Amino acid sequence: MVKITVNGVPREVQAPGDTPLLYVLRNDLQLSGPQFGCGLAQCGACSVLIDGKEARSCVTPVSTVANKEITTLEGLPARWAKQKGLPAAEAENTLHPVQQAWIAEQTPLCGFCQNGMMIVATELLESNPNPTTTQIKAAFTTSGPSPHLCRCGSYNAIIDAVKHAAVIMAKGGK
Amino acid sequence: MATVTENSRNVCGAVLSRRQFVKTGGALVVGVSLVGSEFLKANPAKASVFMNSLDPTLPNSWIEIHPDSTILIRTGKSDFGQGTTFTAYRQIVADEMSVPFEAITTVVAGDTDRTPDGSGAFDFLGRGTPNIRKAAAYTYQALLDLASERLGVPKDQLSVKDGIISGGGKSISYGELVKDQQLKLTIPVSGDLTSIFGLRVEGNPPMKPVSEYKVIGKSLPNSIITSKVTAKEMWATDVRLPGMLHGRMVHPKTLGSTLVSVGQLDKTKFPNSQVVVKGNLVGVVAPTEWEAIQASQQVAASTKWTEWKGLPGSAKLYDYLRKEADWTTAPITKSNANVGDVGPTLASAHKKLSATYQFSYMKHAPIGPTMAVGDVKSDGTVHIHTHNQNPQALRGEIAMMLGTTPDHVIVHCYPGAGHYGRSNGGNAGAEDEAVILSQAVDKPVRVQWMRAEDLQWSTQSSASYSDVELAIDETGKIAAYQIDHYMPAMQDDRPIGAVIAGLPTMSAPQVESKSVTSTVNGLSDPWVYGGVSNVMERGHGTFQIGQKASPLAVGIRDHSMRTPGQFQQNYPRELAMNEAAALTGADAIQFRIDHSKEERVVGVLKAVREASGWDSRPSPRPHAVSTGSAPVRGRGVSLMFRSGTYWACVCEIAVTPSTGAIAVEKYTIAVDPGIVVNPMQLKRQVEGGAAMGISQAIFEEAMFDESGIVSRDWNTYPILKMADMPEIKVVLLSNPKVGSYGGGSEAANALAAPAIAAALHDATGKVIRRLPLKRAYVQAVLKA
Repeated sequence: MVKITVNGVPREVQAPGDTPLLYVLRNDLQLSGPQFGCGLAQCGACSVLIDGKEARSCVTPVSTVANKEITTLEGLPARWAKQKGLPAAEAENTLHPVQQAWIAEQTPLCGFCQNGMMIVATELLESNPNPTTTQIKAAFTTSGPSPHLCRCGSYNAIIDAVKHAAVIMAKGGK
Repeated sequence: MATVTENSRNVCGAVLSRRQFVKTGGALVVGVSLVGSEFLKANPAKASVFMNSLDPTLPNSWIEIHPDSTILIRTGKSDFGQGTTFTAYRQIVADEMSVPFEAITTVVAGDTDRTPDGSGAFDFLGRGTPNIRKAAAYTYQALLDLASERLGVPKDQLSVKDGIISGGGKSISYGELVKDQQLKLTIPVSGDLTSIFGLRVEGNPPMKPVSEYKVIGKSLPNSIITSKVTAKEMWATDVRLPGMLHGRMVHPKTLGSTLVSVGQLDKTKFPNSQVVVKGNLVGVVAPTEWEAIQASQQVAASTKWTEWKGLPGSAKLYDYLRKEADWTTAPITKSNANVGDVGPTLASAHKKLSATYQFSYMKHAPIGPTMAVGDVKSDGTVHIHTHNQNPQALRGEIAMMLGTTPDHVIVHCYPGAGHYGRSNGGNAGAEDEAVILSQAVDKPVRVQWMRAEDLQWSTQSSASYSDVELAIDETGKIAAYQIDHYMPAMQDDRPIGAVIAGLPTMSAPQVESKSVTSTVNGLSDPWVYGGVSNVMERGHGTFQIGQKASPLAVGIRDHSMRTPGQFQQNYPRELAMNEAAALTGADAIQFRIDHSKEERVVGVLKAVREASGWDSRPSPRPHAVSTGSAPVRGRGVSLMFRSGTYWACVCEIAVTPSTGAIAVEKYTIAVDPGIVVNPMQLKRQVEGGAAMGISQAIFEEAMFDESGIVSRDWNTYPILKMADMPEIKVVLLSNPKVGSYGGGSEAANALAAPAIAAALHDATGKVIRRLPLKRAYVQAVLKA
């Protein structure tokens, strides 16, 4: 049994310790944000934040994240609410600025990779609230274990959305 | 008891009859409802299919109006990220029925038992009249007839706004009109539900003139984006059925290997796993996904296969296609644009271009490998839960595999990773295997292909080559143009698991196969240079490589992929046009304009010229160089007509001769679809196609050896990364006088390659006619 904290909630999972975190999140905890793309840490579809840093859940044994804070796409609104100290009623109706921007810019095409894209965007904007196009490209290409790949070619829409999210965050989330 | 009165009438070729219910009890909430189908009576062989399908002759199978005036629409078209079913389809229905966009609250797509028409997820806009538009038009006329009767006002004196019909000082909403009614309107359809093209709504109901469009033309949002972004969407990958087992396949060692012996499962390590063997198909099932993965790897390591080497290998691909492939069995196709007599003109040409263009195998390469949940019930009913571009075709294939009828097979369709045409003939891989494993273990089984399988056991976009002969006269005009396209069969719709298992499937591509699965190479790239007097375009087809040699009869299986066939034919034509312009010392855009007679061709070329800041001059550029470690810059143009839409593209590149690296710096594209249904969505679709097209042009080649595909992950099949993205400029030309809307998105894939190759020529003075323009290849050619 492994104890992990996912989106602020402590969970006990029965899966063997060498099980990749992705399968625990998807099958044991029934979360649908992280997706199986390659199982090789080559694409980023499975990304989550582990203690605020983007990681590939497909190659991360669940035993290695015991007692760490895991955030998935499902947890982004709560993460933002906590960071901004939003009252519960408001928090419930507030999406993370990255999600708001992704909708406003109509970013996803098939959307299968967008979980990882939004995770990276969140990580980037938490450390760099106003990134340039070059910095955005670097964050999605060279910052992690591999580039974050989008087969539908939504990269331009992602760049637009990251910039849009930065504006929303600068305004306090609206 | 309800008192029922019936009457019927002809509505624009459809038959409307109505039952007036006089209620005694609870409300009878029916929109428009059931009646026997003329189509079924005429096509008894297809009747069984409809037992688990909606009757396409009934308008309520397409459009359901609720008493609160909200509307539900249904389409057999699955969404693959285009968003068309959630945006354009709602807009089209809204305008056809004079209701607001928001009134259409529900879109049901794909599921075989909940949608009426089938067909692959392509050509959504149906060249201006998709099925859903005609269905809406019929429904609108029926509503007017009902209102006329109810209000006692002649039909031609009625007007409709926001779903409220008014006339003679009275009005009634759609909701009120259908409440407590059971309406029967039979609409004419034709076609074959489980074929690639599905059913088509026939007849000519009056349709709204463009001048009355209020919703079409607006940038309305795609509703499914919100649920995907907020992790609330139910993806195919999220389907979990009670008792479901996880399955992983152990595919043969090569594309021609047969099974010698199955590896022994280590029950001490994997006590809950089970091996399933059917013919040459091996699978492993387990209660947890991680156990299934590990157990399948353990079994695979000790499973023995026969060796097979029957493919030419990537390095010899084009030699094989030219010298060894048999192009004599399929009849040669000829374009309907062929005109004049090219022979004498080519023989006496003032200047001549003779060149061969080569096009590699490319993978659809969805970002998520294919997966499906199969659930074979004890009564023989089969349910498949998956992401599929043509669920009706899939049910036909699965029924054939199991020796049953399509009504026993129900396909449930969910969002998933786009795969760009791979399943428009019914399967992408894993669906059949999930069914085979489920049948064997008597439980629902979820089969997920791993990354390597998805690259090595799936179909690909076919390789091809084209020979061009082109004569230029003394005035610098093309006097004759001849092109011969050579491409193996572009579409193999056999489910691969069924083939490996030795279960029944449709035939491998043959001359006689139906339409797209034939070995005949049709002409797919409409001719746009009407100013040329002598034109000869021919298509030559053959079997897929290895198809006949492989003991499994699989070989390198092909399948249509974004702009199928047309990409393979447009690339040589457009690069040849650039070369011809260069031969005559003409500017490549002006050269195209001078050879065109179509206003929209000229319009799209002028638009891209202006938007890109194109400086008119011949190619190559002054001081073009093909050596050195400093980047050299160039630009090129391309042109295409597809599905009612005209496209022109300019790519500006920087190439470093010493390394061969190409960076696309700016990509400008002009699109004239006639009416732009949704500018925001079209822009995003075009940007996506642009990125994928650049990726295909400079990175993508499915590598294979003598035994099979060797590209197995994102390192060995690299695709475009965000850092490779150019500045993208999309120019949408709204052209309402065309009177209809053409297709979007996929054509953008094909435009980058010839424009980039032309830009490379412009920059370096050297022409490279083989795709992809991979770094090492470009480096070697420039050095030579």
